[in-house]
Amino acid sequence: MTTVVLARAQWPADDADTELAGVAGFIESAFSPLVAAVAERCLSSFFGAPPAVLARGERTAIAIATSTGDLATAAAVATAVQAGRRVPPLLFYQSNLNAAAGYVAARWGLAGPVVCTMPGSACQPSATSEGQAEDLTSRALAEAHATAALLIEDGDADAALVIAANAYLGGAAFGTAELVGPSWWSST
Amino acid sequence: MRNIASRPDGPRGRPRRKAEPGQIVITGLGVSTAFGRGEDRLLDGLASGQPAFRPASRFDTGGCRATMAAELAGEPKLGAEIAAVTDQACQRAGLDAVSRAEADFLLALHTDSDRARDPEASDVIGAVPAEVAAATGLPYPARIYTTACVAGSTAVADAATMIGAGRASQVIVAAGFLVDADSFRLFDAGRTLAVDGQVRPFSSGRKGMLLGDGIAAVVVESAQAASRRGAEVLALMTGWGRAGDAFHVVQPHPDGTGLARAITAALGRGKVAPAEVGYINANGSGTAFADASESAAIHRAFEAAVGSVPVSSTKSLHGHALEASSLIELVVTVLALQAGLLPVNAGFLADDPACQLSLVLGTSRQARPRYALCLNAAFGGASTALLLAAA
Repeated sequence: MTTVVLARAQWPADDADTELAGVAGFIESAFSPLVAAVAERCLSSFFGAPPAVLARGERTAIAIATSTGDLATAAAVATAVQAGRRVPPLLFYQSNLNAAAGYVAARWGLAGPVVCTMPGSACQPSATSEGQAEDLTSRALAEAHATAALLIEDGDADAALVIAANAYLGGAAFGTAELVGPSWWSST
Repeated sequence: MRNIASRPDGPRGRPRRKAEPGQIVITGLGVSTAFGRGEDRLLDGLASGQPAFRPASRFDTGGCRATMAAELAGEPKLGAEIAAVTDQACQRAGLDAVSRAEADFLLALHTDSDRARDPEASDVIGAVPAEVAAATGLPYPARIYTTACVAGSTAVADAATMIGAGRASQVIVAAGFLVDADSFRLFDAGRTLAVDGQVRPFSSGRKGMLLGDGIAAVVVESAQAASRRGAEVLALMTGWGRAGDAFHVVQPHPDGTGLARAITAALGRGKVAPAEVGYINANGSGTAFADASESAAIHRAFEAAVGSVPVSSTKSLHGHALEASSLIELVVTVLALQAGLLPVNAGFLADDPACQLSLVLGTSRQARPRYALCLNAAFGGASTALLLAAA
């Protein structure tokens, strides 16, 4: 099936994007708020208010790729363990990127496969500058597209919300979301 | 050669099924669990039916609700352990240096706890992928799967897709998880670990899951590529399906809708009827909500055939290996088909009205299923079903 990019969004989009909105139940890390923000912008520009049209949402996958992973959540767990403190239970729920995907899937009614990956060769270089960070986000986006293409080609989905999300220790966060699907979705 | 349809059902004398062109086959596997290193140790553990859980030994569990885990002996290092099983799988499949260098490599991993302690870290995975590639002669992984408890099975489904589309002829899929303090304390804080020290899938009185070490690798390839090398077919990858629940951040849908669609997709792809499936290796984490949801999914997909299909969750024996769990359980399913052994669903106390399944109880038992399903479900409603046929 030939697919096209039906909608696109990113964070930050402009200078006004300085603080990601929090997501209830998620703490300490910008990662899940970043995924939620780009997903919301992308999906609402195409579907309007949530949820997605039932017949389309049921056939839409979520593919999230990241070159960083959720560093802040991993660090928060490690800090608590090292200090001999109890790990905050909320960190358990957000400890895997699938949780952010599940949040988006439930909110928008996207019932296709959920896949979270890290790009292979693309996750090796370290990001020390803004330029490299942008490069890593675009590589993650290419990776998420490749994963989504497998799901669509295989028939497990007709469309996919494709997300690249990189969130660094210290708070910098860069994300892009694209909805890919059949071209006829855009004309009806 | 005898006709497949007329083969005897007994454990011996079954003719080997020849893979047909266009089919996708598994020709290599390697595995290490708390039962030990190698498929023989795992098979012994499955046959014994004795769970591998002991007091966790690598870190202090003081202040935790739970204390038990299934650990490999000694001080295993993840990169070396994954490299070892991957090498085993490649050797078993007869892949030489040239074939390895040309193969595709997919890897499923959990967050690296050393990276989590590095303030300069730029990713959560660390050096394991490069280490495994260097040690095995495989290329750097094309992709790292981190999608929780379906990471390994999603990679296998993707491998089958790549081969089916003719874009790869051989894909090596590996995965590894070693129980560490971070994962133990994280899952303990989430109140998901069984405080009674046993995993009791689908049983009333089940208290939760327990973590277990798991390292596994499989070689997936086209039947043509396998026959060119004269490689032995261990099992056929007949079908696969992936789906989501669209229900909750971490909980599965109570009606099992996503997993049911994954099962139906796998059976449909393999053109196999539910009644033909002779074993289900269930996700069966042993948590109250998830097991009921999975039971609902199996009922939804199997309908009237649900009563005749034996089900067990071997997490009750080797524990939950998170991102590696679904690959461990695929290997278990291959071994079950090969050995003619349905592993026991250990820890069972009594029936749960919410989990009315035909469980393999008491002891592991002999049977020769033609088809077996391996089911997995994860945070975010992610669900996979892999359908295997005996070779």
